[in-house]
Amino acid sequence: MNISSTRYTFIFAIIVCVVSGVLLSAVSEGLRKQRELNEELDVKKNILKAVALRDPISPKMKGPEVLKVYGSKIEELVIDARGNVVAGKTPKQLTGKDKDLFPLYLYKEDGQLMAYAFPVVGQGLWSTLYGYLAVEADATTIRGVTFYKHGETPGLGGEIEKEWFQNNFKGKTIYSMKEHKLTPTVVVKGKAADVVSKDELSYHVDGITAATLTGKGVTELMARWITVYDAHLSKLRKI
Amino acid sequence: MSEALLSTKNKKIIKDGVWDTNPITFQILGICSALAVTTQLKAAIVMSLGLTFVTAGSNVVISLIRNFIPPQIRIIVQLTVVSALVISIDQLLRAYMFDVSKQLSVFVGLIITNCIVMGRLEAFAMGNPPWKSFLDGLANGAGYSAILILIGIVREIFGSGTLLGHHVIPASFYAAGYVNNGMMVLAPGAFFLLGTIVWIQRSISGYKES
Repeated sequence: MNISSTRYTFIFAIIVCVVSGVLLSAVSEGLRKQRELNEELDVKKNILKAVALRDPISPKMKGPEVLKVYGSKIEELVIDARGNVVAGKTPKQLTGKDKDLFPLYLYKEDGQLMAYAFPVVGQGLWSTLYGYLAVEADATTIRGVTFYKHGETPGLGGEIEKEWFQNNFKGKTIYSMKEHKLTPTVVVKGKAADVVSKDELSYHVDGITAATLTGKGVTELMARWITVYDAHLSKLRKI
Repeated sequence: MSEALLSTKNKKIIKDGVWDTNPITFQILGICSALAVTTQLKAAIVMSLGLTFVTAGSNVVISLIRNFIPPQIRIIVQLTVVSALVISIDQLLRAYMFDVSKQLSVFVGLIITNCIVMGRLEAFAMGNPPWKSFLDGLANGAGYSAILILIGIVREIFGSGTLLGHHVIPASFYAAGYVNNGMMVLAPGAFFLLGTIVWIQRSISGYKES
């Protein structure tokens, strides 16, 4: 057989495509359920982490325990663009079409509201950054932030998933009581204390060396989502 | 014509990949990833394992079908095999080792574009039987891993003061005015290191530019 002939080349190319196509679909389909379970569990883990419920949850905590804590302490809501709660909807029912509906998670301890958490998504340098932001019951102070999915350069932009970076957000305020305006968190270039005045430190955090653009992405997504959720949070804030 | 699994010839294949024709220091391949993923040792190790596995695996597959591949489209066929292998691994990791797959993030995809994988397919697997090709892939992966891990160790210690995330530079050093070397975190730091390693390796192995 002449393996250089056009006919053979075409046949071979088709066989390679079909074989690898079938193989990949089979692998993807066969593992889909397991993958989705992992992803859902990961989301719940990160909501718990954002509201700082993580201490009772050691990182080694197994899936069922995460689900149990989540189920007993987190309440899922959906709000619309004006900040009103949409009755009878859960975040799970939201699809890509629901552009004006946003999931909101409430953390309650024995019926008492402790914190609000909501997803934050935006572009970094190379990839989309996914995270959760948790705000204390005062609707002003950041309780915690977590970035759990991204494709930034490890060691540089990838540092956003590290504790030291996320810890910088804790205690920052998203609303200035003095000036009565929203103050979404800004990631500066270098150390925040060197760059901005003392008053502004309440909403500026340290940047990551050699990852200025990832930091910019974080600043942008903070501004975007804090503004969106402020429609709801502003109703809860006592001014 | 049967041959022992680790005959002299086969041992030479291993030695070539790891030392004499090391993919990084001799062939100067895979430089991009050697710069990009070595700021921390852990990332370097994971990337090394991934690449070794893919190189060995795709070498075997291509070697098995080497006599049937039409020469005009061989590169595309190689790329398809590599991609299919990498994507399958990625899916498996996501299903059963979710945390590891999160750490790998973009690396898995980067393996597809690594010149070493295609380089070995084109240079070795297209003309050699499966077992030899497997050894060649393994050896080249090991050669790549050794350099990557070496650079990873140096960069993490001097760039961040840690090793595998644990602090190794005592706090008293910092108190005495020691600062982490910022250049080590950036790509140029890796370039200088890489240059030094190539120089040392070549002067020991006696390589001469032809």
